Amino acid sequence: MSIENFGKRDDVAVMEAFVLKRRTFLKNASVLGAVTTTGLFAPSILRTVKPAMAQGADLPVGLLFSLTGSVAVVEKTLHDASMLAIEQINDEGGVAGRKLNPIIEDPASDPATYADRARRLVIRDRCISVFGSYTSASRQAVLPVVEQRDNLYWYPTLYEGRECSRNVMYGGAVPNQQQQEFVPWLAEKHGKRFYLIGNNYVYPREENNVCKILLDRLGGEAVHEEYVPLGHSDFSSVINRIRAEKPDVVFCTLVGDSDVAFQRQFHAAGFDPAETPVASLTRSEIEVQAMGGDAAAGHYSSAPYFMSYQSPENEAFVKAYQDKYGSDAVTHFVSEAAYFQVFQFKKAVEKLGDQELTAPAIRDASVGVSVVAPQGEVVIEENLHTSLWPKIAQWNGDGQAEILVQSDDRVSPVPYWAYEGSTCTAEGLKRA
Amino acid sequence: MTSTLRNDFLSIAAFAALIVLAVPLFFGFDGYELNTFARYLCLGMVAMALALSWGTAGILNLGQAAPFGLGAYIMAMHLKLMNSTSMPGGMPDFMGWMNIETLPWFWQPFHSLGFTLLAGLLFPAAMAFAIGAFIFKGRVSGVFVAIITLAVLVAIQLLFVEEQGYTGGQNGLTGLALLTIFGVTIDNYSLNFYYLVAASLLIVTVLATMLSRSKAGLVLRAVREDPNRARFLGYDVSNYEILVFSVSAAIAGFAGMLYTLVLQFASPTYMSVSFSLSIVIWCAVGGRESLIGAAIGAIVVNMLEGRLSDVFVEAWLMVLGVLFIAIVLFLPRGLYGLAVSVLDAMRSQDKARHGTTAKTGEPTRPGESASTSPTASLSAGE
Repeated sequence: MSIENFGKRDDVAVMEAFVLKRRTFLKNASVLGAVTTTGLFAPSILRTVKPAMAQGADLPVGLLFSLTGSVAVVEKTLHDASMLAIEQINDEGGVAGRKLNPIIEDPASDPATYADRARRLVIRDRCISVFGSYTSASRQAVLPVVEQRDNLYWYPTLYEGRECSRNVMYGGAVPNQQQQEFVPWLAEKHGKRFYLIGNNYVYPREENNVCKILLDRLGGEAVHEEYVPLGHSDFSSVINRIRAEKPDVVFCTLVGDSDVAFQRQFHAAGFDPAETPVASLTRSEIEVQAMGGDAAAGHYSSAPYFMSYQSPENEAFVKAYQDKYGSDAVTHFVSEAAYFQVFQFKKAVEKLGDQELTAPAIRDASVGVSVVAPQGEVVIEENLHTSLWPKIAQWNGDGQAEILVQSDDRVSPVPYWAYEGSTCTAEGLKRA
Repeated sequence: MTSTLRNDFLSIAAFAALIVLAVPLFFGFDGYELNTFARYLCLGMVAMALALSWGTAGILNLGQAAPFGLGAYIMAMHLKLMNSTSMPGGMPDFMGWMNIETLPWFWQPFHSLGFTLLAGLLFPAAMAFAIGAFIFKGRVSGVFVAIITLAVLVAIQLLFVEEQGYTGGQNGLTGLALLTIFGVTIDNYSLNFYYLVAASLLIVTVLATMLSRSKAGLVLRAVREDPNRARFLGYDVSNYEILVFSVSAAIAGFAGMLYTLVLQFASPTYMSVSFSLSIVIWCAVGGRESLIGAAIGAIVVNMLEGRLSDVFVEAWLMVLGVLFIAIVLFLPRGLYGLAVSVLDAMRSQDKARHGTTAKTGEPTRPGESASTSPTASLSAGE
């Protein structure tokens, strides 16, 4: 090892600070010069100045669905459904004579980016409402932003409940809406021994809490409760356990890739759906499309909407959706909510008439708003959740669901169903 | 040395002018707008932490997000407890949902803000000390350091995701209170909050620069060039490496604490592999040889991300990827390196015009300039 070798690598640059002092200074100065220029220049392109809201101007609304990253597969369809609704509304003259101006952001499936982009929509773009997101993690990342700015976040996804924000419009089902008819129906038809399998995060655990309470009332039991990490895809040991336990029903709250992998392996293991059905709260046309109709055939799902539902509104929705996005595109219970929430927003704004358009005003006006959605007529309740039409369906081999049971009436959302003494009211969460 | 100090002072002063004056001026001193920029400053701080260990000592830490995430969670634990006082037993809501009966012992001390602030610095540092001792005392080096740090990161993230009764799992810690310090509640959308973050970054810049200009910093640069040679010269190489590794973790922990204040939630994605690799990219873009350069890299890339996603809504990640590849190919030393070579070119032209030829052997490339000096400097430092 010679002295010459010591600093031979040409990526050394700090050493010279000791030798060439003046030059270092010049370098530093130039770096900072360049940087200052960038620093000043970049924000100026960053800030596209949006016109302030004036009477008769377009209504800016934010669309915050991931178009890239891990949840893009689902969120892209929600984005598409929202855009379809906005287009239809604008084609018919807009909202009270004003066009909706959708401002699209891509939060790239990352919670911190959701928060960042939500802030941009609410602060820079002055959106009076933001439509967005699929996962609970992303909703909770956006929550501090919309609460701080008293804005409105229209969240179309089914979720675990137990939340009572005055700044979120919940368009999806909470556990009681999906389960209070489903679990008794399954127990009567197939038996009361349930095997609970889900991904290890808050949503499946909470759904299972509700399921266990319902089973308890019916005199049934959860023979095994199991959670696998998100994205988990090897279910051989789970399937062996199911074989050993011989449950009457496999109650499934796996999401996304995990659900697809499980169902394929379960099907390949040769279970007969008539004897050991999988009953899912999360499986929609999207997951079934990914796993293949054969694998899902004969198994059950509970949701307020299925693509095969027969109603004039749904036929129009499916047709418009496929005309725009291709004949193999599917609609599902979250994209349906993403679609009807825009119409709920429209009605609430129209209700306000000449009053000043602010997010809190829209929120207050939206309570009681009723819209004929593809699933049936839905109503926004005082707790800002939506009364929905739960349905129980069995999957066919063609990837579509056959609806077996449709609830007799709208089912009201009870976000704190499993928590006695806690109620979500128009004043926020009340504890007894 | 005095001249070096002056240069450092000038560059820090310019950096200070940028983030204390220029940026707020541009945003019209609007606290809401500046909140987004405060986020970039936090990311700049964690990039600076990486530049300290990677640029100075050549330790490529792919797990820099781990101390960052730990700091974020530590701050979030305090804020969560502050927001849970009305809950039964003062317990955070998610614990109740997971059927946990009492507040776990390791949550108890986070009622104290003083403990929280100390823990946010010292806990990541202590953890880095332990891991660093294992790595550097074992004379692990090069790519294996990168692999170990990455593995540790994945393990820590998994722990936080799986132990949801104690950590909030996938959703992280949400529903946090605002920070109250000395009876003053800090609104994260206020101008004061931005200055808190900016001042923190400047203090860290000064301290990190002092470290890299100290004798320890000199030894670390020698270690980066050739650990064995530094060892033969009588330095206990691993001690210096552990030192810079721990200091870097403490800075990352501090950045994480501020990040939680900016975003008002802590998420396991702060400890994700992709986030951790982003930090490496920011350093590479800014120039890892310069602390301020790395911070600027983080700020520029994040601003660019925001801008690109505005223009290319569908393809912005791809555009960003192409940009990174271009930088690695054409600017291997980042923006800092670019500025250095532009300046070099200007200087040699200048010289040619004035006819004052450089003394023989005047290096044209900065790397080579070091070749004659280190031994002299080292022996002078002895």
